[in-house]
Amino acid sequence: MTPQALLETAVLMGLFVLAGGGYGGLYAAGRLRARSGLIRAGGVCWAAAFAIAIAIAALTPLDFGWKLLILASAVVYAIIPPVAWRYLERMHSGEQATE
Amino acid sequence: MDIQDPSFWRSGAISTTLVMLVVLAFLTIDSLQVISVGGANVPKYDVINQQIGYAYNWSRRADVPVIGGPQPLFGKTVTEAEAAGLMRTGKLVIQSRACMDCHTIFGNGAYYGPDLTKSWLDPAWQQIWMPMTGKTTREDAMVEFLMHPDKYPTWTRAMPNLHLTEDEARATVAYLKWISAVDTNGFPANFGQAGTSP
Amino acid sequence: MYRSQKLSLRYYAAAITLFGVMILFGLLSALYYLFPSMLFNVFNFNMSKIMHIDTLVIWLLMGFLGAVYWYLPKELGREVVGMWLAELMFWVFCAAVAVVAVVFLFVQYGGANEFSMWFINQGRKYVEAPRWASIGIVIVMLVFAYNVIATCIKAQRMTGILWVLVLDLIPLLVVYLDAFPVVTNMSVDLYWWWWLVHMWVESTWEVLIGCVMALVLMDVMGTSRRIVEAWLYIEVMLVLGAGILGLGHHYFWIGTPQYWLSIGGFFSALEPLPLLGMVVHSIYDAGMHRMKTANQPAFFWITAEAFGNFIGAGVWGFMMTLPQINLFSHGTQWTVSHGHFAFYGAYVCGVIAVLYVAKQHVSGAATLTGRAWKWSFGLLNFGMIGMVMALLLAGMAQAFYGRAIGGSTLMAFTAASENLWFTSGMWARMLFGVVFAAGYVVLVYDLLTSPKRVPVLQAQPEPA
Repeated sequence: MTPQALLETAVLMGLFVLAGGGYGGLYAAGRLRARSGLIRAGGVCWAAAFAIAIAIAALTPLDFGWKLLILASAVVYAIIPPVAWRYLERMHSGEQATE
Repeated sequence: MDIQDPSFWRSGAISTTLVMLVVLAFLTIDSLQVISVGGANVPKYDVINQQIGYAYNWSRRADVPVIGGPQPLFGKTVTEAEAAGLMRTGKLVIQSRACMDCHTIFGNGAYYGPDLTKSWLDPAWQQIWMPMTGKTTREDAMVEFLMHPDKYPTWTRAMPNLHLTEDEARATVAYLKWISAVDTNGFPANFGQAGTSP
Repeated sequence: MYRSQKLSLRYYAAAITLFGVMILFGLLSALYYLFPSMLFNVFNFNMSKIMHIDTLVIWLLMGFLGAVYWYLPKELGREVVGMWLAELMFWVFCAAVAVVAVVFLFVQYGGANEFSMWFINQGRKYVEAPRWASIGIVIVMLVFAYNVIATCIKAQRMTGILWVLVLDLIPLLVVYLDAFPVVTNMSVDLYWWWWLVHMWVESTWEVLIGCVMALVLMDVMGTSRRIVEAWLYIEVMLVLGAGILGLGHHYFWIGTPQYWLSIGGFFSALEPLPLLGMVVHSIYDAGMHRMKTANQPAFFWITAEAFGNFIGAGVWGFMMTLPQINLFSHGTQWTVSHGHFAFYGAYVCGVIAVLYVAKQHVSGAATLTGRAWKWSFGLLNFGMIGMVMALLLAGMAQAFYGRAIGGSTLMAFTAASENLWFTSGMWARMLFGVVFAAGYVVLVYDLLTSPKRVPVLQAQPEPA
């Protein structure tokens, strides 16, 4: 890995996770306040994360396996927030029903 | 299967943990074989009787130690038992002086001083400290430096004098030579080959 | 108030004091980078660093012990068994820490012999404390385990959270036994040393703080036990599922086989996934409970923990975890940056939250208000983010110039350390370190001053 590629790859990977986190945060905030604008902004963040993942796959000298792992986790990022949210809601509504 | 039931997740937690622990146990058994002295990655202590290099290996895609012909440390070939004694003392020096709270070995430790993994191979001994100490061999320069580091500073972050005896300094040099022969999967990369990144 | 809760307050006091000592030696350690000839041959960098990282371990541990002694009687509805022993151990613990500190400050190091290991300095990062003191820590932890288990037995009650806690104490103690031997072979030494450091920091402590947070959530936010327990089990599953083999990312370069590159890289690359779930969870909780909580400071610190953990462990960890990058970033200030952020996010925020829980109970205030806690919250977070950004820049400069270009020799290390990016990073770190220290001062001030009472009963209309 060249010195240049080292820094570029590391920064892209950091941004990738950060964008994924931004998606999770905005999505949850959007659901909480029932604002579709926030959820859409979250979607944009996820799209950014996915685009970064593609950039990592296309432009960096990482080994093939790692690129695959990053692309796969970009897809998994997409489903974690909605699944987690639905689970939390079910959990809490079940709680209120039993109380 | 009710995912709202805590006991569902309790079973998940227990089984996941157990599976991971079993896998770790097997990997540990294998790893300990590889890293025991004389194992695949860690040479015997008497490797200090030989020349040690570090070169890029294309099939491994990493830098690996290269053990060459005889090159006795301090001009004296040691037995395996003598070498083990030196290593024991060397390790005790490294612990008692808290070397790794300034330096790193294999990149582990503190980051105030340079990494010592390949310090035996560092060109600075020949280029700087042999002329500075007036010693004719690398190991003698290392001993002199380790005993009086504050007399031979090379830059502002100088090494303090930790009052090593001569025996302790010689054992430390032996330890550093042995460490440089450990196969570290290519860490550090491009050692001593400024700008030639493969 | 239970007797064990009084003991808990003592542990908190000791923890917050050592937090201050840690910051002090952190600032001093940072200063060496700027003025390297400072205290040369009198009190060298390594001793300052030891004080910084050892007090880090001890104050967090004391915070955890305090939190458990606080909640245990509440959880079981009875006084903790063996309190006199627990109280004695507190003083043993403090005395041992004080003696070790004096030895580190004034004796510092000894010769290459067993005497040094027993009485002066063992010189292995994080476990430098001499053997006698390490034995002391084992005894303190054994008594702690006895307190917890005996109380459960006496109360004839066991909750899910307590099961997790008790089971967690076993590996916590077992891996600490690695604090004693001198292993000549550095590869084997580091192999077990990482069991201790990683299994404490990234496994057993995570579970311990998970238990504490579960108790805090029930207490501060009124979350039901069923939900909290399910959440705790999920967390244990994810933390240990990824964390046990995540150990592999420490086995890239210590002489261990090549397969650890794949295993360690894979499991630590998974780490951001559960952390993302936790971010969603914390926002959910924030929305559901914000109106109900009477302890805003504790609530904010719990939320900060989720975000800090995501960014510190998730983003910062992911940047440098794959072997191809770690080959160059490992052992630079980049690591330092990640270490600071991850420790802060995962543990410091949580312990500060429990301190505020105790404050509310002790002061008897219906709600915690005021501006001081907001200032300390802001200063500590701002200071930490500034520090880790500065360290990241310095670390990247090291990886770039010193490692990838320079080839890791002494001269490459020197050149990278004199690079403008590096030196500016070190100055910026110092500056933000001072901001962090200011946050600490405000935190202590806020914890010690009694809150303004806004009792509902005495509320009277303002005279017209």
